[in-house]
Amino acid sequence: MSVSQAASRLARGTSPGQPARPGRSRLARRRRRAGILLSLPAVIVVLALLGIPIGQAVYYSMTNWNGLTAQWIGPSTYSTALSDPVLWRVLENNALLLLAIPFAIGIPLAIAALLNEHVRGWRFFRSVYFLPTAVSWVVIGMVAVQFFALNGLMNKMLAAAGLGRFQTDMLAGQRSALIALAITFIWSMLGTNTIIFLTGMATLDPTLLEAARVDGLNRRQVFFRVTLPLLKRFVQFSFVITVISAFSALFSLIFVMTNGGPGFGTTTLEFFVYQSAFSLGQFGTGALYGIILFVIMIVVGLVQLRLIRTEDGEGW
Amino acid sequence: MAADSRTASPGAAPAAGKAPRKRALRARRRSRVGLIFGIMTLIAVVMLYPFWYMLDNAFRTQSQFEQQRGNSAVSWGQLFSELPAGRELFNSTLICVVSILLILAVSTTAGFAFAKLRYRGSSTVFLAVVAALMVPLQSIIIPEYVNLGKLGLINTYLGAILVYVALGTPFATFLMATYYRGISDDLIEAAVMDGLGYERTFLRIALPLSWPAIATVTVLQFIQIWDDLLVGLLFLQNPQQRTITVGLAALSAGRTTSIPVLMAGSFLSAVPAIVVYLIFQRYLVRGLTLGMGK
Repeated sequence: MSVSQAASRLARGTSPGQPARPGRSRLARRRRRAGILLSLPAVIVVLALLGIPIGQAVYYSMTNWNGLTAQWIGPSTYSTALSDPVLWRVLENNALLLLAIPFAIGIPLAIAALLNEHVRGWRFFRSVYFLPTAVSWVVIGMVAVQFFALNGLMNKMLAAAGLGRFQTDMLAGQRSALIALAITFIWSMLGTNTIIFLTGMATLDPTLLEAARVDGLNRRQVFFRVTLPLLKRFVQFSFVITVISAFSALFSLIFVMTNGGPGFGTTTLEFFVYQSAFSLGQFGTGALYGIILFVIMIVVGLVQLRLIRTEDGEGW
Repeated sequence: MAADSRTASPGAAPAAGKAPRKRALRARRRSRVGLIFGIMTLIAVVMLYPFWYMLDNAFRTQSQFEQQRGNSAVSWGQLFSELPAGRELFNSTLICVVSILLILAVSTTAGFAFAKLRYRGSSTVFLAVVAALMVPLQSIIIPEYVNLGKLGLINTYLGAILVYVALGTPFATFLMATYYRGISDDLIEAAVMDGLGYERTFLRIALPLSWPAIATVTVLQFIQIWDDLLVGLLFLQNPQQRTITVGLAALSAGRTTSIPVLMAGSFLSAVPAIVVYLIFQRYLVRGLTLGMGK
C-alpha cells in the first residue's frame, strides 16, 4: 500500500551527518544509543500488542479452543474451515460489498470535481461534506436503521415518487439488508474520499488544464483525459482505504444495523470473527477467521504495492 | 475561479456595450455556476440529513415520534436516566486523552529516532513498525483479549487504553517520522554540537517544531478512539467504564429504548467529535494526505 511504499522510501534515505572523521565517533555512538533508546517504546508497544498477538492468533487458529479447553489440531483446521459453507456465505457477503467500491470512489470523484470549480461557498460545502467523517459509524448506523425502516424516509420518498409498490423493509431481507449496508457504507466514505480527491486536484498545474482547454477539449474530455490520469495516485490511495474499510471497519455499522442478519445476510468476515469468538465461544475458529482476514489484507497491500512499482517502472 | 464567482453574483449585470456573443457566453457560464451550486446544495442536504434527523426526533416523545408531530424535551431527561451519559462522556474523554498522550509519547520519540538518529537496522525496524498498520484489529482481538485478561486488565481503563495505543502507534509513528525528515539535519547537529545532547535536542528543538504533526495525530486519534465500538465493547463491558459510543450501541442493541432517546444519545455522543473536527479540520485533512507519503 502507499503508506508502506512511502515508508520504504523513507527508510532507504541516507543517515544524517554520517561520521566522517574518527573524532566524531564518540558522538556517533551517542547518537546510536539515543536512537535505540527513543525508538524502543514504540517497538515494544508494536511487538507486545500487535506482533506477538498475531503469532498467538496463528497458533490458536490451529486448535479447537472453546474458551475452556484447547487441543492442538494443526493446519487441518484450515481445510475444515474452508469446507464450511457458512464461511463461504460470509465471504460472498464480503465480495458483494466490494461492488460498492466503484460508487464509494466514483461519487466522491464527481463531488470533488464540483467543489474544484470553486463556486461561491465551496469552502462551506467542503466542510459540510467532510463532517460525517467525525461521526461514529454507530451513530450513522442508528440513523440508517430509521432511514431504511418501513415507515422511514426511503419508503416515504418512494411513495412520494409514485413508486409505492417498491416499498420494502430493506433490513428484513438478506440481500436487501446487504444493499442497505452497502449504501450506508458508501455514504460514510463520501467525506474521506472527496477530501482525498480534492487535495489531489489542488496539486494539479492549472496551466496544464488551461492548455488542454485551449487545445479544444471540452470540460468532460479534460476531466477524463487529463485530470483523472494525473490523479491516479490519489485514486489508488482512496481505493486502498476504501477496500480496507470494507473489510475491517464495518463492524459498528453491522452491529447497530443488522447484527449480521437476517440469517447470515450481512455477516462479513470481520463480524464473523466477533460472532464466533464472543457469541459462540469458539475462540479457535474465530482466530482462524481473523487470520484469513489478515491474509486478505496482505494480498490487497501487495497488489497495491505491485501496481505502484510497475507504474514507477514505466514512469522512469 | 475568482472570475466564476464574480459572474455568479446576482448584481453582476453585463456591462453596457459588450458584444452580444460575450453576453451569451456569460449567461451560459452563470447558469452553469447556478447548476453546480444547486447540485452542491442537494449533496449538502444528503450529508446533513442524519444530523437534522437526530435533532428533530430527539425533541419528541415516543408517540410524537410515531406521529411525526409535536416536540418535547422529555426524551433528553429519559436519556440521562437510562444511560449514565455524564459518566460515559467522562469515560470517553479520559480514555481518549490518556491514549493520545501515550501515542504521542511513543510516536514522537520513535519518529524522531527513525528520521534523525539512524542506527544499524533502524530502517528495518521502522518498516516493521509501519507494516503493523496492515494488521486488522479483528485478527488480533482474541489473543489481545486473552493476554489482557491474564493481566487482569479486562474492564479497566488501562486495558482499553493499551489496545488503542497499539492500534494508533504505527500510523502515528509514520506521520511523525515523515514530519521530522523535513526538519534540517544541520539544525539538529548544531544543537547537539552546542552540547544539548540528542535527548534534549529532541525535547527542546524537534518536539516544539513538530506541533502541526502532533495536532494531526491528536485529531485523527481522538476521532478514531471516540467513535470506536469494538474495543470498548469487549474490553469495557462494565457500564461504569464504558465510553459513550459503546453505551449507545448497547442501548440500541437492547431494542427496548425509544428511538427519540437513542437519537438524543446519538447527537450527544457526536457533538464532541464534531467540535474537535470543526476546530482542527485542517490537520485532519493534512493527516489524510500525509498518509500518502506526500
